[in-house]
Amino acid sequence: MSTNGRKTPGGEISHRTLHFIWIVDCSGSMGCDGKIQTLNMAIKEVIPHMKNAADENPQTKVLVRSISFSNGARWHIAQPTPVENFTWNDLSANGCTDMGKALEMVAEQLGMLPQNERGCPPVLVLLSDGQPTDDFEAGLNDLMNQTWGIKAVRIAIAIGHDANYELLQKFIGHSEFTPLQANNPEALIKRIIWASTVPIKAISSPPSQIKGTSVTGVNIPLPVAPPADLSSANDVW
Amino acid sequence: MIPNNYKFTVQVIGDSVRGASHERRGLPNQDAILWVPASGKDLPLVLAVADGHGCSQCFRSESGAELAVTVATKAMQNFLEILPRTTNLSLIKQWIEEKLPREIVHSWRNAVADNLSANPFRILELEKLEEVKGSEARRQAVLNPPFAYGSTLLATLVTDSFIIYLQIGDGELLTVSETGEVCRPLPRDERNFAHETSSLCLKDAWQGFRVGLQLILDKPPALILLTTDGYPNSFVDDANFLKVGPDLLKIIRAEGIERVRKNLRIWLTEATEKGSGDDVTLGIICLMNGEEDASDFPPSPQGENTLEEERHERTTT
Repeated sequence: MSTNGRKTPGGEISHRTLHFIWIVDCSGSMGCDGKIQTLNMAIKEVIPHMKNAADENPQTKVLVRSISFSNGARWHIAQPTPVENFTWNDLSANGCTDMGKALEMVAEQLGMLPQNERGCPPVLVLLSDGQPTDDFEAGLNDLMNQTWGIKAVRIAIAIGHDANYELLQKFIGHSEFTPLQANNPEALIKRIIWASTVPIKAISSPPSQIKGTSVTGVNIPLPVAPPADLSSANDVW
Repeated sequence: MIPNNYKFTVQVIGDSVRGASHERRGLPNQDAILWVPASGKDLPLVLAVADGHGCSQCFRSESGAELAVTVATKAMQNFLEILPRTTNLSLIKQWIEEKLPREIVHSWRNAVADNLSANPFRILELEKLEEVKGSEARRQAVLNPPFAYGSTLLATLVTDSFIIYLQIGDGELLTVSETGEVCRPLPRDERNFAHETSSLCLKDAWQGFRVGLQLILDKPPALILLTTDGYPNSFVDDANFLKVGPDLLKIIRAEGIERVRKNLRIWLTEATEKGSGDDVTLGIICLMNGEEDASDFPPSPQGENTLEEERHERTTT
């Protein structure tokens, strides 16, 4: 490698890569009471915040993609896209809640990432309002059988009172963190902003953690999410 | 210990730069590097690098890393004096694998205790820890002070007849042969993954050391490289990082070791700015035949572009 006419030992230098994946419930119930519309709007709104978070940490290249699940699962945005080029295409809601299939497909992709210590732990943000209709456990097992699945920062947003809080907690896998509850549009927006910016900042320039000393097994120290508007008076979901 | 007829001279260079992300966040360089003797030219020679963890609980890891390289260099020098006068290799290996890590950990914990005695934890440090990690973390820090000083350690001792390599935690220790072949003299530690590392501050830390003994029966490695993880993490992948070894060897042979010494800080700064953003430290032990001095090597007749041209040839053939 040569820079400005100088010889520099070694091969190509690069910032580290952080993979950020939205895992979005698009089952029929997400079509009720404006949930999917709010989610679409919130993610569009959060993109500039993600870009800012990435700009503040230029040593990390943030790549974003998205998978949706209803009857089966599909990569809604399959290409890992640099956050500065990321745009959101609106999702619509219809069908079942095949969350297990989505986790299986995410696991497959994580298995294709370089398995070395240079990578940043991926961020997986799961949003759901209901009960899985397929084999959730099988999908979660696939995910947790991947090195980057275990090491990922896994965040869950429970949309409305009908969300399966227990399974979302299983997805997170750390007792220190619980699903982020969102029972109204304002809360969902706040939760999405937090979930898509704070982990990027935490992972982009993390100090080393001493192996085996975390009570919860969390390898990236995330701050506790601030409470959303938990007033039940505002709940619509 | 083991007689060796192969004569060589040694020279050390090294540097450490503050990480680009540390600069942005107002954090210090939490790496450390030290070699003895300070001239870097006499045997026996010890080189050590260390990387303080920098996490909230390890709020004194900058000092922990400094203490690590200080006690490791001293312990390895002292170790030579107590090493049994024997040619029984298994006995020597046992000493190196068990007694040396124990001695280093013991000395590091003592040094931490001395440091703490002279500079007790400040209320501000503990309050900051509690704010970020909670009251239990504060209680643990008081109960187990070495944790606040957590650090990795990589060290190499070179004598005229053998080399000892040791490491706890992440970072890279490489050898480069005369022909440019790169080897890792120590096994990989799979526990060091995704920002997690083993550490000097852990209970029974001596058991987490990886230790290697290399007898110099023939030619020693041409170079031995010790780096903290900020350097390898700056490269696209392992293959690109491993090119550092043969490239350095080519530069030293073509233009002399002074060329490396003068440019090392620039290279490491470029690595952290365009790469990991972490603190970056590299120590290089250069082992030369007989009475040769690397700085005496003539410049390459091909001039400035030798390395690039050779790499171009490698990638296009």
